[in-house]
Amino acid sequence: MPAKRRLCNSRKMDEAIKGVADAIIAEFSRKSEMDFAFIGIQQRGVPFALRLIEKITRKTGFKPQFAMLDTSMYRDDIGMRATLPVIRETDIPFDMNDQAVILTDDVLSSGRTIRAALDAITCYGRPSLIRLAVVVDRGSREFPIRADYAGMNIIPEDGKKILVEFKETDGSDGIYEIDWSNPTKGE
Amino acid sequence: MEVNWTRKDLLSLYDLTPEEIVLILDTAEEFKKVSERNLKKVPALRGKTVVNFFVEPSTRTRVSFELAEQRLSADIINMTASSSSLQKGETLLDTVRNIEALQADLIVMRHSCAGAQNFIAKNISSGVINAGDGAHGHPTQALLDLFTIRQKKGRIAGLNVSIVGDILHSRVARSDIWGLIKLGANVTLAGPSTLVPRDFEQIGARVCHNLKDAMVGADVINLLRIQHERQRAGFFPSTSEYARFFGLNKENAKYLKPDAMIMHPGPINRDVELDSELADGPQSVILEQVTNGLAVRMAVLFLVAGCLKK
Repeated sequence: MPAKRRLCNSRKMDEAIKGVADAIIAEFSRKSEMDFAFIGIQQRGVPFALRLIEKITRKTGFKPQFAMLDTSMYRDDIGMRATLPVIRETDIPFDMNDQAVILTDDVLSSGRTIRAALDAITCYGRPSLIRLAVVVDRGSREFPIRADYAGMNIIPEDGKKILVEFKETDGSDGIYEIDWSNPTKGE
Repeated sequence: MEVNWTRKDLLSLYDLTPEEIVLILDTAEEFKKVSERNLKKVPALRGKTVVNFFVEPSTRTRVSFELAEQRLSADIINMTASSSSLQKGETLLDTVRNIEALQADLIVMRHSCAGAQNFIAKNISSGVINAGDGAHGHPTQALLDLFTIRQKKGRIAGLNVSIVGDILHSRVARSDIWGLIKLGANVTLAGPSTLVPRDFEQIGARVCHNLKDAMVGADVINLLRIQHERQRAGFFPSTSEYARFFGLNKENAKYLKPDAMIMHPGPINRDVELDSELADGPQSVILEQVTNGLAVRMAVLFLVAGCLKK
């Protein structure tokens, strides 16, 4: 197991998520109507999206729709990775056409997952706009992609990786820096 | 426990762990959704070349693989024995090495000799998917059967599955038996004693020579096509006699549970092994098997392609 150092406890992580929810509310409340849906990228973009929905619903009364998306079939590195990712569920229960959507993921790094997600989304329809929300922006971009909402910016030491854990997927909340021994790039 | 797929070939279900079989079925669930969308294509195998090399003729399996490859955005070459240099006396290994020299990533292969794909897979670095080898195995057919059973019944473990017909010569039956037993089903084999030898009891299946015994209590009944050339070889006296003793029809269907599923790998001999009305009736899942075959083959191609060293 790689060495794991905690950077944030669950309270700080919750504050960061709350900051993202507030920023989304601020942007969309300036529009004529508050209407947007979340697409959580498997795996940890899913609990992140559900937390945002819960906070936004509590604060505004508007409950955004929710979808989950697995990007494995759209990646550009199939056969280049040490292990093949397990394909998780994609479930998009609403019409994507003309819908404002907010894509969520835990960590934004190379931007390759988001590139794959944008490709996937266009196979389902033509959203009116797409925003990107992440818990942590860790830099090291390889694609011209940026986050519209980031809970925090953390630049890890060389060779280390940021891990965001959620109670739903990992048993508890927390943000960690870990030594990444896997030789392949991207996440 | 999450399992990772690490095989560059899919040769036989006999080689796979139950967890690997479940991983293929789970992966296929997501690929099935791709075919239900307006845009039925994903870029997963973009830039990969797949050669469909069918040394033995095939229509449905080849078409299913070809469509699966197209939906994954692969580049495809189709070869048959008659269009290859096998006709000119080239050895199978030389033919396949030539395909590999053209940088083919995957070879989907059918051959009339059991084990041909194992031999090829050992000798080349391209991935090999077995699309049927002699009477040995037809792993993607068994996987689509397992997928269909799991989808309809919600599980495989503990189900009573009967396979009826020419088990002796059937690669579908062998693959089905391995897959079903690995996933915990109770397998019964039925047919004339010339076509259902007792040897199959050694791998954990129940053998009977009476259709009623295979029907009572079955959750799934899978009828295999009876090949007319077997009659000429003396395995049973006549097709009509086979139909009388081992054909599923409206009269004997009363022995089936009302929710028993009727399966058939196709092509059907209507009114021989299966009554026409039952083949088209509500208990039949035959066309769903075809639809699911596409999803299962997409999953297998995706998993195997992900393990090629490049």
